[in-house]
Amino acid sequence: MPGSLKTIGKIRAALAARPAELAEAKARGRKVAAWVNYNIPEELLDALGFIPVRLGWGGDDRLTDIGARYISTKNCVFVRELVGRFEEATDPYIKAADIVALDATCLQVYRVAELIKYYFKANTVILGVPRNFATPEAKDYFRAETAHFVARLEEQAGQKLDAAKLAESIKLYDAIRAAIRELYPYQAGDDAKITWLETFDVVQAGQFLDRRAYLGLLQELIAELKSQQGPPVVKDPHSEVRIFLSGSIIPPNDRKLIGIIESWGGRIVGDDLWSGLLSSIDVNIAAPTVEAIADAYLGRAPHAALPYLDLESDGRLKNLKSLVHKFKAQAVVYHTLRYCDPFTFKANETKTVLNKDGIPFLEIHTEYAGSDYEAIRTRVEAFIELLKNRNLVEA
Amino acid sequence: MTTAEATKQFHYPPELEADFVKTRGLNFSDGSHVTAAEIWRFMTVDAPKRFPYAFDLGTHHGGRPSEDFTLFSGIKKSYLQLTLKDRLLKARAQGKPVILAQGGQAMDLYYAGGGIPLRPGVIIGWARNQEEGLSVRQNDLRGVGILEAGRNRVSMESCNQISAHAAIDSGIVPMDIVAPYLCLRCSDMAYLTESHRNVSGIKDGLALVDFPIEAAGKPWAAELMAKELRKLLDKIGQFTGKPVDDAEILRVIKLGNRARAYAREIYDLWWSAPVPPTSGDDLNVSSAVNDLLGDPVATVDLLEQYRDEVKWRVEHGVKGHGLSAKPKRLLICGSCVGPNGYQVERAGGVVVGRDDGYSQVTVDVEEAGDPCLAIAKSVLAYPYELPTEQRAQWTVDLAKRCRADGVLFMYQWGCNFQTGVARLVSDIIKERSGLPTTYIEMGELSKLEDTEQSVNRVESFIEML
Repeated sequence: MPGSLKTIGKIRAALAARPAELAEAKARGRKVAAWVNYNIPEELLDALGFIPVRLGWGGDDRLTDIGARYISTKNCVFVRELVGRFEEATDPYIKAADIVALDATCLQVYRVAELIKYYFKANTVILGVPRNFATPEAKDYFRAETAHFVARLEEQAGQKLDAAKLAESIKLYDAIRAAIRELYPYQAGDDAKITWLETFDVVQAGQFLDRRAYLGLLQELIAELKSQQGPPVVKDPHSEVRIFLSGSIIPPNDRKLIGIIESWGGRIVGDDLWSGLLSSIDVNIAAPTVEAIADAYLGRAPHAALPYLDLESDGRLKNLKSLVHKFKAQAVVYHTLRYCDPFTFKANETKTVLNKDGIPFLEIHTEYAGSDYEAIRTRVEAFIELLKNRNLVEA
Repeated sequence: MTTAEATKQFHYPPELEADFVKTRGLNFSDGSHVTAAEIWRFMTVDAPKRFPYAFDLGTHHGGRPSEDFTLFSGIKKSYLQLTLKDRLLKARAQGKPVILAQGGQAMDLYYAGGGIPLRPGVIIGWARNQEEGLSVRQNDLRGVGILEAGRNRVSMESCNQISAHAAIDSGIVPMDIVAPYLCLRCSDMAYLTESHRNVSGIKDGLALVDFPIEAAGKPWAAELMAKELRKLLDKIGQFTGKPVDDAEILRVIKLGNRARAYAREIYDLWWSAPVPPTSGDDLNVSSAVNDLLGDPVATVDLLEQYRDEVKWRVEHGVKGHGLSAKPKRLLICGSCVGPNGYQVERAGGVVVGRDDGYSQVTVDVEEAGDPCLAIAKSVLAYPYELPTEQRAQWTVDLAKRCRADGVLFMYQWGCNFQTGVARLVSDIIKERSGLPTTYIEMGELSKLEDTEQSVNRVESFIEML
């Protein structure tokens, strides 16, 4: 049964010990590179000797209010909370950061970069991302931009990028991504020993943990699952309400919607969240070079913040549909944060696309405040009830 | 009672006609010419019947007409605005594609390609004008209907530009191409353009021109944009069926540079005057420079006349109509909104410039080499589009040049990018210039209703000054 895996406990313990570990590493002269967004290649940070930490939390309405004093109430709560954390400056990961690398996939995050540099003197390094990401020109641009980014990082690291170290880092991150892809199906299987939320938490623990130790823990977890659960199989997907979660970021600590779905009889079995599985999909680095890394990141499963003008060949929607089928989900709950335009503006269209394939769709538009809890609960409960009835009919 | 009689309308004084008709008319890109007498007739006979709302003197009317009747080039500017609908439909019938473009960007390439670029705000006006004879209230309600249809289809969290996209999707305005630049001024444009991909009428006419951030010192950034501009030309060419050579692009760039130069000259003259020579709204020539009012030749012609009139007024110490003795000078920042000029002046202020508007006339396009690269370098250098600290420093310098007494940062409800830096820009200006600043959200989304909050805040700021 879920909750019985020893490795999960080890990961939680490692996470709790991580701030002290980082402080020790810094005392030994190591530098911490915190990063935000979707297209920062961690391989580069690691190969240059930085300790990478991916920033981003959610669910804290107080910090959101603090952040809104600097950014605005017309920005999403994720970026507001991030700014709020920089203002408060008590978070151990923010305190540890020697540099903060931010990419311009979501341009609200770019605005965060400007604000934390000015108000909180963060040592920011920016990676530009082409909006028309699927063109040959975009590829050239991103190669040059990534090379420029590396040059900035080299200045901060006080060392040049070493080809052998880069190759080693690429191998490490490929292995982490492969392990996460291997891990994900277990939570969706019958008699699963791990829940989707536990899996999601494990993925997000990887934002903070030492990546080499993290890979070891992932492999240990998979071995434990193989031994306790066996190969993941789904015999009768209609025996329960299987929900796929999509849409705006759900970062660590933001568990409102997840809790509501699970409390009211839904079983989350997959996601394409950029704080979840999405970051581990389709990163194919063809050679141990900066150019190949740039190509791979630009060519990965696209982020909704990058517009794409042809509906038929939209990789984001193809990926979404493919994952829904892979995890044998029956319906999609599409989470949109207020003022997260990239996902919110696509909600109706995504619904139409999924409905054409017979996949029910529920958009939940929310913030970090608890005031809409009951409204969300009512909608989710009704949606799950409809899906249960559909299952009964199909049975 | 007709709709025209239902509201308080103004009429150009007949005694001005004799002087007006002696002035130059306007030349147009197709070689045609309209005389001052024809302009006078349109503005005094035809337009009041067709577009009664445009002559409404209601205080909440954001597009309230200037009552500075002796500024004849102001009347000609209104003529170009009110004839835009007719000119667009005529041009389209002759095979010129009409294109939705991003505001505040150089439009040279769209014109060079043979198209007519329009900002969302202009498209919204066109959509409203598709039904004629409306009072200001009827015109407003028509606009609200289009706005709400767009919000219903895509998202209620968009700013008012969604009206332009809704008007395109519903066929209210015949649009051929949607091809904006993706600069940092606007968070909604990218996703609103994307939203057309499931609309059969327009989906083949979609394009986006990438606008890389932090482009200074990065030749690859301008190269990316230049390549995208070439692709934009190809896209326009699919509609016109005509290839465009660099000589034609250069010809239009030269026209655009003339327009920008006239605009800078007008601002410099205006700012040099001890008393403001026109109202703030009449100073706002940058909006004409931005999209060239559907015709670059006519706009350059207009700006030359504008420059001459402002120069004469400055030389003769003329004070702008309706201004108080020593109006408090406001510099407006942000986009894509500004205060109601009439209400600012009634409260004892005057708008002396807008960072957005002035930014787009500060940088000429180089008239040599690859014209697409030249345009790319130009727009990437617009001060308004620079990283925010640099933009704010430029604004500090601008505030000094125009002798502002205070700076108002205004932004549309729903705009993620300008809201995100409203405090940052305001704080930097305050720190480095000592000027009072504030920032104001415009929640009315161009409607005539619910304007009290923003009006009160603007008036309070002027009172504080």
